[in-house]
Amino acid sequence: MELDQSKKDILKEVANIGAGNAATAFSEMIGQEINMTVPQVELVNIQELPAITGDEEEYIACIMINFSGEISGKILLVVDMENVEKMLKLIFATDELPGKEMQHSALNELGNILSGAYLKAINDFTDLDLDQNVPAMAYDMAGAVLSSSVIDYSQTEDFILLLETEFIAGDEKLELFYFFIPEKDSLDYLFERLVGGNFA
Amino acid sequence: MPSPEQVAEKLVVKMADHAVGDENTVLATLGLGSCIGIALYDKYSQIGGLVHIMLPENPGGKKTVKYADTGIPFLIEEMADIGAKKRRLSAKIVGGAGMFKSESGDSVMKIGHRNIEAVKSTLKNLGIKINGSDVGKDYGRSMYFYVGDGRVEIKSFSRDLITI
Repeated sequence: MELDQSKKDILKEVANIGAGNAATAFSEMIGQEINMTVPQVELVNIQELPAITGDEEEYIACIMINFSGEISGKILLVVDMENVEKMLKLIFATDELPGKEMQHSALNELGNILSGAYLKAINDFTDLDLDQNVPAMAYDMAGAVLSSSVIDYSQTEDFILLLETEFIAGDEKLELFYFFIPEKDSLDYLFERLVGGNFA
Repeated sequence: MPSPEQVAEKLVVKMADHAVGDENTVLATLGLGSCIGIALYDKYSQIGGLVHIMLPENPGGKKTVKYADTGIPFLIEEMADIGAKKRRLSAKIVGGAGMFKSESGDSVMKIGHRNIEAVKSTLKNLGIKINGSDVGKDYGRSMYFYVGDGRVEIKSFSRDLITI
């Protein structure tokens, strides 16, 4: 898989639009202003993926949402455990967190909302039909979680295309990694649609 | 016997990679999820090898160590190059977890389970006995293979260290 500059720019624009909308939804959910980093578009060697958010043995939470339709892929939201707690306190607007089940369901809901907002923006922009599946979650060592999340894409590929944005929430310095990972076969279709359409 | 300062050269094996070493080596791989770490040991010549596979079968991919069915034979060759004998090898296997769950608690990807089956059948076909395993379930593992005595230590979050 190769990516020239013009294709990178297209993907950056897609990520910008998607993440911008997701950041707004996130901001509404936790009542904090969100700063978003400029999206990075990278072809990442799968061997480097376990350490992409930092230490591969760090304890993290990951919400994974697969999407399908005219293009398919997955969205990963990754937060370290310290930040998960901060985030839950903001979502529930209290320092007294409810039980684990409620916490999990809040994170699921967060996954639904953030991926929904991202996909909706892409849909508005490209007119592609996209359906999101129910979220799945994992809490464990970053390496174990991240490697397992994309294992279905590594069958014939040694590189994974990542569209990465980081959200940082106002006073709390809450950090959340947002990864958009289109399936390889979907990319050609996406480019064709965007270059051939009103994008170029 | 090696002196203490010679002991434990630590080699960290990345995903879809491998390493071999002698009795002064610790072969480690961190954060195994649905992947599997296979430690092969020739006790007699104190040669060890570790391969970190991601998937059960090679569909023709060039990176042979990524797959159980091609990665294990590759590791055996690498070990033979430094003096190990295939007929003396035994194996310890770690990983193959199901990491992701839906809200209802169901495991969403079955690849860990398929990896376990593929590793077991590949080893069986090669005539290599499994001397220890810590596989399956739903949590990540880091493994440390001490080639000096063949033990494998497994670390996980909020769980006691396991030695196999």
